[in-house]
Amino acid sequence: MRTDWQGTYLDGRTPARQPATVRLMREGLELTTEAGGTRLWRYRELRQTQGSYAGEEVRLERGGELPETLLIPDSAFLQSLHEAAPDVGLRFHDPRRRSARLRWTIVAVGGVLAVTVAIYLWGIPLVAALVTPHVPVAWEEALGRSAVSYLAPPERRCGDPALGAAMDAIVARLLAAGPPSPYTMRVYVVNRPVVNALAVPGGHVVIFHGLLERTSTPEELAGVMAHELQHILRRHTTRAVIQDMGTGLLLMALTGDVTGPLAYGLETARALGELRYSRRAEEEADVEGMKMLLAARVAPAGMITFFGKIQKEEGAQPKALTYLSSHPLPAERIARLKALAEAWRGAPEPLLPGDDWSALTKRC
Amino acid sequence: MVDGQDPAGRPSFFRKPASGATPVLHRPVAAPPPAPPAEPPPPGPPEHLPGPPPEGPGLATLRRPTFHGTGGTLFGIHLINTLLTLVTFGVYYFWAKTRLRRYLFSQTEIEGDRFAYHGTGRELLLGTLKAALVFGVPIFLLNVIRDVLDVPWVLKVGAGLLSGSLLFVLFPVAMVGARRYRLSRTSWRGIRFSFRGHVWELVKIVLVGSILTGFTFGLYYPYLLVKRQTFMIANSYFGSERFDFAGRGRDLFWVYVQAILLTLPTLGLCWVWYIARKRRYFWDHTSFGPARFSCSVTGGALLGLWVVNLLLLVCTLGIGWPWVRVRNIHFAFRNLALTGPLDLARIQQEAQRVSPMGEGLSGFFDSGFDLA
Repeated sequence: MRTDWQGTYLDGRTPARQPATVRLMREGLELTTEAGGTRLWRYRELRQTQGSYAGEEVRLERGGELPETLLIPDSAFLQSLHEAAPDVGLRFHDPRRRSARLRWTIVAVGGVLAVTVAIYLWGIPLVAALVTPHVPVAWEEALGRSAVSYLAPPERRCGDPALGAAMDAIVARLLAAGPPSPYTMRVYVVNRPVVNALAVPGGHVVIFHGLLERTSTPEELAGVMAHELQHILRRHTTRAVIQDMGTGLLLMALTGDVTGPLAYGLETARALGELRYSRRAEEEADVEGMKMLLAARVAPAGMITFFGKIQKEEGAQPKALTYLSSHPLPAERIARLKALAEAWRGAPEPLLPGDDWSALTKRC
Repeated sequence: MVDGQDPAGRPSFFRKPASGATPVLHRPVAAPPPAPPAEPPPPGPPEHLPGPPPEGPGLATLRRPTFHGTGGTLFGIHLINTLLTLVTFGVYYFWAKTRLRRYLFSQTEIEGDRFAYHGTGRELLLGTLKAALVFGVPIFLLNVIRDVLDVPWVLKVGAGLLSGSLLFVLFPVAMVGARRYRLSRTSWRGIRFSFRGHVWELVKIVLVGSILTGFTFGLYYPYLLVKRQTFMIANSYFGSERFDFAGRGRDLFWVYVQAILLTLPTLGLCWVWYIARKRRYFWDHTSFGPARFSCSVTGGALLGLWVVNLLLLVCTLGIGWPWVRVRNIHFAFRNLALTGPLDLARIQQEAQRVSPMGEGLSGFFDSGFDLA
């Protein structure tokens, strides 16, 4: 074991490098400089701040905020130190542990992957599910207002009073049959040919004119509306927004970047149109939407016909039907709706009996 | 490495140049490029000047910082940091940041000695909490009043104005606070750096500058940049010795105007050259005692660096960022030099006490440490 080493001493008061000799002892190291003579630095008074990466010189500091410093260029010094004083333990880096560190890094790779997947698949949905019921309605409304101003800008809204009245009548009929809700529901028909409908937190339903034109009876639209109203009442959208923010935070942790996800989070309101609900949320909105229709005594066939129509049209012109990309319609969904409708023993009452529906859907 | 000083504390590091050797380095006559708004010279990377200026006899001493770190090690550190940050629900973030900085600093060497970073994760955490409390909570509450609550509109307007002005003060406070904190936690040869500018001075510069910039349709902007850079550099110290900045707004002005005029014909590419010229101008007018910094970044080289970086990031889906970071640092150091006598023997330790709040605040705006 080598006990004598050459190094450099910095006194912490001037930037002068002073050559130093170091001798390793049992309880500390003996430091000799020209200006300061020889003194003993006990190991427990020292901390090592550099020298744990290959190629770095060893840096030992002693004292409070503005320490004295000892620099030893040869990192073999550390090994001798551990041999001279086996009881210093983890206070000083041991180069023999470097391969262990490499192993830990590899373990960390696996760990990061596993933890990321777990957080994404279970952690974020769980947190979102726990938080969502406690989000104040006022916040949902504030979020909804800014999203609506983007998704349904006032200059693109259909202002036809008859159309507006028909929409309000459908919503009122659906809501009247259910328990009172904290939301004031508003419907916006947007003058765009897209076949789609969206639920926005806080009580806004956005219906694109393209979808309205595809309905041949008010009952068909009521089916779509009931589905979207359920997304709002059950706070599916709010939950999706929270989940989306969670994903942003996860991204931030992964990239070590703060500003990116922040912008990403702000983007969320705009991306509302792109949000995906979980399959369970979709099924729930289907089932509860159908129950809502039945409770309001709206003929259930409309909802089923409309979904079937959209599904068939998909083969002909897949791109035109944005509705399907946000509301996938596998056959079993329609089958489930049918089963619910057939089990119903009630008698339907007509919806909007006095109106000419096909004329109404042409207006804007 | 030259060392030693005699007991009387007389300089012996580098011989003093003969007589008026203080190099009057080229003061750009034409418009030197505007300075990058970003970071003023970080603690200490010295640089070299190509060729000694005519009047500096013994001045050929040219120093460049070197970076010894590797992308691979950086990647390993990042992995472990990420894992610990995830399993601690983000709390480890502050320690992770500290660990990364410690590595980057200790891999940076000039004149044979490496920098050291003395910040701790605990400080960073407390600083962030304090910043959130002092600024975050009031701004959040004011925004709630403005956007959510059902109160008379006068209150809403008042809340909006108040939160706006808080935000306006926030940026200078964060900028100064972060610089103060980072410099105070950085040392070289055991001597701490420090920043001693007062935040209100910067608020004044930014406030007056923004108003003038508005009135002159943006033409005042280069002057604002230079004022800000002067504030940031000329209040920075290494031990007892101050850095200096001698840039003038009018030098930057024409470069800036030129860049604006060329924006359309070059489809905006000319701004890369503008950034390079600004960086050169800022460094070339920065000095430490009689020693001067110089920078040789060119627009073409900068563009090349960015293009390759972008390709690297895209091809690796972002995993390659540690290597990109190392490339950036190498690039910056390659183009940076410190020439002239470095009179270290006069320098005394003069550390300043600094609260980490400003650093915590700046953590809300940027990520991490800008060595390059």
